[in-house]
Amino acid sequence: MLEALAVFPNELAAGGLTRLFLVLFPFFVLLELPLSLLVLAGVIRWYTRNLMTTPRASLYRPRVSCIITCYSEGRDVQNTLLSLCEQLYPGEVELIPVVDGATANEATMEAVRDFRVDPVRYPNRFLRPIAKWQRGGRVSSLNAGLSHATGEIVFALDGDTSFDNAMIGAMVRHFEDPSVPAVSGSLRVRNSWHSLATVMQSLEYFLSIQTSRVGLGEWNTVNNISGAFGAFRTSFLRHIGGWDTHTAEDLDLTLRIKSYFGRHPLRIPFEPTAVGHTDVPDTLRGFFMQRLRWDGDLFFLYIRKHRHSMTPRVLGWRNFLMTLFSGFFFQLVLPFLIVGYTLAGLVLLPLNVIAVLAVLIYAVYLLQTLILYLAGLLMVSERPWNDLKLAIALPVFPVFMFFLRGWGVICTLNEMFRRGHEETSMAPWWVLRRGRRF
Amino acid sequence: MQSPSIGCLTRDPGSFSESRWHYASSLNELREQGEYDVVLVDLDAADAADVVFLLRCDARYHLTLIYAGRDRTGNAPELSDGSIPTDPNAITEAWRKWHQRLSEFNRGRYPERFDEYVLAWLWTRPEGRLKPVRHPHHAQFYYYPLLSAFADNEPVNEMVWLQLMMEQGWLERGPLTDRIRLCTHCGSARLNYVDVCPDCHALEIAREPSLHCFTCGHVAPQDHFLKQGLMLCPNCLTRLRHIGSDYDRPLENYRCRACQSFFVDAEVEVRCLDCDTHHTPDELRIREVRPYSLSEQGRLRCRQGFSGEAQAESHFGRLNLVSANAFTNLLNWQIQQSRRYGETAHGSLVLLRFANLGEALSQERGTTLLDSLIDRIRETIRETDRCARTRDELLWLLLPHTDRQGMDRLRERLTELNRLFREQDGIHIDLRTVGITLPENLLPQEDSDLLMARLGGEVS
Ligand SMILES: [Zn+2]
Ligand SMILES: [Zn+2]
Ligand SMILES: [Zn+2]
Repeated sequence: MLEALAVFPNELAAGGLTRLFLVLFPFFVLLELPLSLLVLAGVIRWYTRNLMTTPRASLYRPRVSCIITCYSEGRDVQNTLLSLCEQLYPGEVELIPVVDGATANEATMEAVRDFRVDPVRYPNRFLRPIAKWQRGGRVSSLNAGLSHATGEIVFALDGDTSFDNAMIGAMVRHFEDPSVPAVSGSLRVRNSWHSLATVMQSLEYFLSIQTSRVGLGEWNTVNNISGAFGAFRTSFLRHIGGWDTHTAEDLDLTLRIKSYFGRHPLRIPFEPTAVGHTDVPDTLRGFFMQRLRWDGDLFFLYIRKHRHSMTPRVLGWRNFLMTLFSGFFFQLVLPFLIVGYTLAGLVLLPLNVIAVLAVLIYAVYLLQTLILYLAGLLMVSERPWNDLKLAIALPVFPVFMFFLRGWGVICTLNEMFRRGHEETSMAPWWVLRRGRRF
Repeated sequence: MQSPSIGCLTRDPGSFSESRWHYASSLNELREQGEYDVVLVDLDAADAADVVFLLRCDARYHLTLIYAGRDRTGNAPELSDGSIPTDPNAITEAWRKWHQRLSEFNRGRYPERFDEYVLAWLWTRPEGRLKPVRHPHHAQFYYYPLLSAFADNEPVNEMVWLQLMMEQGWLERGPLTDRIRLCTHCGSARLNYVDVCPDCHALEIAREPSLHCFTCGHVAPQDHFLKQGLMLCPNCLTRLRHIGSDYDRPLENYRCRACQSFFVDAEVEVRCLDCDTHHTPDELRIREVRPYSLSEQGRLRCRQGFSGEAQAESHFGRLNLVSANAFTNLLNWQIQQSRRYGETAHGSLVLLRFANLGEALSQERGTTLLDSLIDRIRETIRETDRCARTRDELLWLLLPHTDRQGMDRLRERLTELNRLFREQDGIHIDLRTVGITLPENLLPQEDSDLLMARLGGEVS
């Protein structure tokens, strides 16, 4: 190691491509630093703001409609429904499980049918299931639910996600402010300790959803309202036409809502105490296949569909920069740069230099991860003891993220050349074909 | 052999071609015309059923062959002998058979009493059955139309009557139709089952959701867990966020609004809608409802006749009473035998006191009850047993060679019968019994006078 360090200045002096490498590569690394600092500042701001304000009792109790998209969850749907019945929210909650392809998913349909809402135990909870006998995809389920919803606030929830009992209360609170059209909720991994893959994903959810979105939400730059878990003002959602018949409907909707930001003083808060619990793929293979779908969709959305709305005029300057920076740049461009530089480095640099650089870069990312993790653990987490256990995965996390970025390149390429989103399993081909082409 | 006279109740005599039949257009007209051997009721189903029942109530038509309706599907009205046969010769044929059987009944003696009528009805109809019919207006939901029709003005306690007939072996049980539960106080089956507080039996209880904390195991009503919109365990102060992982809902609990007690299982109480008596479910009387038919022994009795049964006797006169003097002598003799031979010379002495005899006998059904009780005593005691009345309401039974078990059995059966009457008809004979077994219960130096005085004191 020492030898390698000794060689370092010489290599730097040698100039040429190598120098370019050494100058540019840290630049990319450091580019992520401002974002991290922004997130960290946001978390600290959220935390101190929370400390200062005492929770006030509000009489704002609008009727809430929960659209629960169900497909092949089977009996697990009942856990979701039960967790919604159990909500501490004192207002009325309408549960609208929409079973997609009910003919094929008999077990799910049966589970929904069998579920009884005990009127003594849950006087304010109403079950109004919808069966879509033919399969129409998630978006059509959500829109069917929206057309039946009678609540002032509508929640879009996944049939395999269950929720903490403070969820609805915490989300609804934000809608008291009329400038809030949507609220994003936090997701946790339910099957954290099933495998190495699930542990890594737990940590990823904790850092990139729970902690990062607190930070981003504080600056009104929430990058996505997760599809498994978001709340919307029904009138606003109907005004913009509900969900669109395309993939990645969650990010799509987030971008469409944001396209109003330039004209109206709107904000999308993130509520970390509204927690949903979801299962993630058990195996690395399953995980990467899931990301192939999601990341491919990113390309589709940013490049193909929302190209024209990516202007400061539409999004407002702050969101334009953030979308450009965190969405477009970090999720689409940066992976290419990293992979490209890695490949170039492997070819151009001597082995010992690669080793030194790798250690350096690893150290920088580990430090960044560690800081974010500690901030999340100490200031955001509502289950710190659970999240403390995830610390054992921290040393591996930068490596995991490196491969994830590498995989992102493949996903984007796949989408570019194969229009991979049309093969997505979330909706069958005939639904997509009817949608607009880009 | 002669032909039967046939009366036909119809609104359309033209539809019948028989000129020898007597037509009537109303029940009253038919009754006034005289007595027919066979009656045809040509009305629609509902009216026919009413007419058949009213005819059966009439002593002249208790046993008569009555055909009703033209329904060929076998749904002839209750108590009829089927729908009107299409072939008039079939009527004559059936009547001849019926007449033949009736002439064999009780050695040709026409029935006079209630039980004789019922037995005769069953006897003249080989397929005849006492069928229970369900009716929501009836306090026990089931009744036997034939028994009601024959009861005339003196309503018969159907359940007791059937039980007596069963015990005498004249009737046999058909398949179980239903099992009903009855109020032990008034015998009504109109019962309401309600959940009540197990502590104070108040009706006003409410389910109260409760929670179970996984961290410390604390179980308490839900209210105790809710603090300012949060769910906190009041015991360990853990924040409970998610059902199934932090807490769950144990068995349903109840809260009594009257005494505030908190319980898991409410008690079920049965309230009689007729007399408002409250029972626990296992206190209710269970009654099995079934059809009955004539048993082999019953048929034999109908054929051979029941002479001697019919003779009128005063209530107690039907027992072989001895004078009070003779009774004390016999008792003294029994006491000596028992003293001398001990266990080998068992004997029992039972005293029955009919405390409200006068009042009971003044009621219409009281005499029936008393008769039944005396019948029961008569059936139970043996030739060697002796009875005596020392006062109007005191009946002594001396049962030689009867040990405590035998005596208790007799007392139980009497009490049971008495209870049946009380539940069914509300007639109450205040029957107190006391019994002792010799020589075990005999006090030293006790003779018949002392012993009878001692027992007399116990029932007074
Ligand atoms: Zn009663
Ligand atoms: Zn009570
Ligand atoms: Zn506890």
